[in-house]
Amino acid sequence: MKKILFVEDEESLQKSLGAALEQQKYQVFRALDGETGLSLAKKELPDLILLDLILPKKNGFEVLSELKSDTATKDIPIIVLTNLEGSADVERALTSGATTYLVKANYTLQDVIAKIAGVLSHSK
Amino acid sequence: MEARWSEGLNLNKVCGKYRVSLWQCPQFLFLVMGVVIIVAVLSAYVVASRYQEPELAALSVLILTVVLFVVGHMIISAFERVAISSLSKSEFISIMSHQLRSPLSAIKWQLNMILAGDDAKFVVSDESRSYLETVYDQNERMIRSVSDLLEVNRIEDGDLVLRPSLFSIAVLASRVASESEKYSSANNAKVTVAMQKDIPMVYADEERIKRVMEHLIDNAIRYSAYKGNVVISLEKKNGDYIICKITDQGAGIQDSEKARVFDKFFRSINALRYQTEGSGVGLFIAKSIIKLSGGEIGFSSLLGKGSTFWFTLPVKKIIINIK
Repeated sequence: MKKILFVEDEESLQKSLGAALEQQKYQVFRALDGETGLSLAKKELPDLILLDLILPKKNGFEVLSELKSDTATKDIPIIVLTNLEGSADVERALTSGATTYLVKANYTLQDVIAKIAGVLSHSK
Repeated sequence: MEARWSEGLNLNKVCGKYRVSLWQCPQFLFLVMGVVIIVAVLSAYVVASRYQEPELAALSVLILTVVLFVVGHMIISAFERVAISSLSKSEFISIMSHQLRSPLSAIKWQLNMILAGDDAKFVVSDESRSYLETVYDQNERMIRSVSDLLEVNRIEDGDLVLRPSLFSIAVLASRVASESEKYSSANNAKVTVAMQKDIPMVYADEERIKRVMEHLIDNAIRYSAYKGNVVISLEKKNGDYIICKITDQGAGIQDSEKARVFDKFFRSINALRYQTEGSGVGLFIAKSIIKLSGGEIGFSSLLGKGSTFWFTLPVKKIIINIK
């Protein structure tokens, strides 16, 4: 069973996407802030991380760069899932090592799940 | 042209646009400086011709220099004020759009969950489903409006960065046509695709070209007013470009409006007549994206007969076959 870490502070999104992923037989770990996300990533070494950018305690950019600078976590594909869309944000996330950048409002749950499946099939 | 000139001279209107007082408005201050210079030159001439003392002439020049310096300073700070107000406006827009999109995407995903139908927990009656689908469609409309607003803001800030890749515009056109089916059938229109064989791939930002097509098709359907076929066609042009045309049999565009079609917030007089939705930014966005992609965009239109909007995109020469 593939492990997915979902770092997102908005509980309604945790609830919907989290449940949808569990239906797809993924094992889902949830974090509501950046620090918890980071420590869960190091402990569980998931197959994929979904990362919001605006997060309490540690923002998504910080989490991203810490994950990429740690040899244990640097190869885990990361999908940035946010509603920020400034070109500077996109650029910064992608150059920091995010695999894909998705704007939540532009994708349905089903689209997001398909993207996750796509990234997972490429990574292994 | 003349109308623009007289608008430029109407300072109250021009300065009202910036939402600053007259004494903080660059256009007005320039006018003041012009008047000061004319008065200064005349009075220097009068002083110099009536009195022979060089000290007096020197003093008047000195006073005038000080006055010009003060007015100049006021103009610069006025420009600064206008620049800052537009900066905070664009920051405001990007913060607000983010704040708006978070709840909108939450609504979207919850509804996706309920309407997907692959979970036995959600048993939705047909009647509830149709209401929920209306909620979903309206929510999608709001998301698109916010995204368009953000896109306009990016264009104005010169912050529109494309993420190009090689993709099949033929596949995209078919996808956009089938996705528009719900909207078109609700408006008694029919969208069909007609393309040449072997349409090459194009190198562009696929998501944004999709938005361009959607905007053009939306317009075509909206202005068709319950009678129409909308045709998306793709052709090769000179080997180096693909031309995509979207043709409708709708209201057409009046000659007097043709020059302003691609302007921001422009809405045709027909928009009111046919009570169509829309904020008037679609074609402005489309034009900006196509220009930045290295293509061209334009239209031809006959009042009462319909319009054809077209755009071109450069080709990377890889041929694929679309069956």
